[in-house]
Amino acid sequence: MMGNNDRQAYDRNSNIFSPDGRLYQVEYAREAVKQGSASVGIRTNDGVVLAAARRVRSPLLEERSVEKLHKVDEFHGVASAGHVADARQLVDVARRAAQVERLRYGEPITTDQLTTEISEHIQEYTQSGGTRPYGAALLIAGFQDGDARLFETDPSGTAIEWQATAIGGGSDRIREELEEQYDPEMSVEDAVALARDVLTDEDDEDGAEPTIAVITADGYEPRDGGE
Amino acid sequence: MDKVLKTGTTTVALKATDGVVLAADRRASLGGRFVANKNAIKIEPVHDRAAVTISGSVGGGQAFVRQLRVQSDLYETRRDREMSMDALAQTAANVIRGMQAQPLLGGVDVDGTPRVFQIDGAGGVIEDDYTASGSGMTVATGALERLYDPEMSVEEAVDVAAEAIAAASERDTASGNGITVTRITADGVQQDTYDDTTEVLA
Repeated sequence: MMGNNDRQAYDRNSNIFSPDGRLYQVEYAREAVKQGSASVGIRTNDGVVLAAARRVRSPLLEERSVEKLHKVDEFHGVASAGHVADARQLVDVARRAAQVERLRYGEPITTDQLTTEISEHIQEYTQSGGTRPYGAALLIAGFQDGDARLFETDPSGTAIEWQATAIGGGSDRIREELEEQYDPEMSVEDAVALARDVLTDEDDEDGAEPTIAVITADGYEPRDGGE
Repeated sequence: MDKVLKTGTTTVALKATDGVVLAADRRASLGGRFVANKNAIKIEPVHDRAAVTISGSVGGGQAFVRQLRVQSDLYETRRDREMSMDALAQTAANVIRGMQAQPLLGGVDVDGTPRVFQIDGAGGVIEDDYTASGSGMTVATGALERLYDPEMSVEEAVDVAAEAIAAASERDTASGNGITVTRITADGVQQDTYDDTTEVLA
């Protein structure tokens, strides 16, 4: 029996339910995502904007080494929040899924299929023995056949589609700002400005310029965060 | 005599302006010298708007069709949309490796564009306007070469396909016993069988 331990098995194992039907490890992983800085995604008619806040803990830090935005294939990118190393693994899953689609069907992957593949991978880690859930969430953005798409996937492997949203620390506040200022008819450049605006926190002295990438009919294009 | 049932076979696939026509004879043979079956079905739908013809071994062809149907159905169920013809052709090439079959794939894309592909046993995919396969393919190709016109409607293409199968049935000992005709348009796959090619041409 576990009675002598402070914590129950359901609290330690991601694949054991608590008596009230919760998976605590998955919930803790969601909290881990909130420990990191925020990333934002904004969808417009002509493309999707991904942006990530950067914390510059020291003037000696090379800003470019903090990677939060990743190209997946020509028309897909992801923004991460939470554990950077965990996120990198998911980025690799995404890149492989995009290539496997070309190998199997001779066609580029769609954004919703890419989201499904990543989410299924994340979900496996909430149900397999000896694993811990991913401590990262992703915003998955794509532009295909004239359609811009933006999805979020979290450590439980649940995927949701958004017009605009934020993940990571302060994401609730940022989403409220987006709810007030988002306009579905806005241009890509307006969305870039909005992303920069909601990620810039006046009170945060460590805050550097956010990194930004846009995905349009021209493909995935990183923007210089320091402009 | 060969113990494995072969289709022997003549099958053709051709593009029309508004769809695709597939046709095949109905003879299955042993060693190309004994007519083992007189109403073999050598054209199988694998998608709402696509079908394949099989030639080579009957077992290999049927196994290929089952696998391709599974892949096509799973794709549609998982993704809530049908495979494009390009995806279907690539999947057919992936599925066929190691199987004894030389299929032709014909279908119509979601926008109505007709497509015809030859698939080979090593996984090769070659797109064409008209093509033939099976032991009677040389005779059938001769007829197609003479009669094919890219401006044909589906109904005109049915006649050309039947002429090609009729010519091959006349000279190839492993082909004959009537014809299966499959019309594929944006509306779907329609398959008819006849005991003699003259019934189509009449």
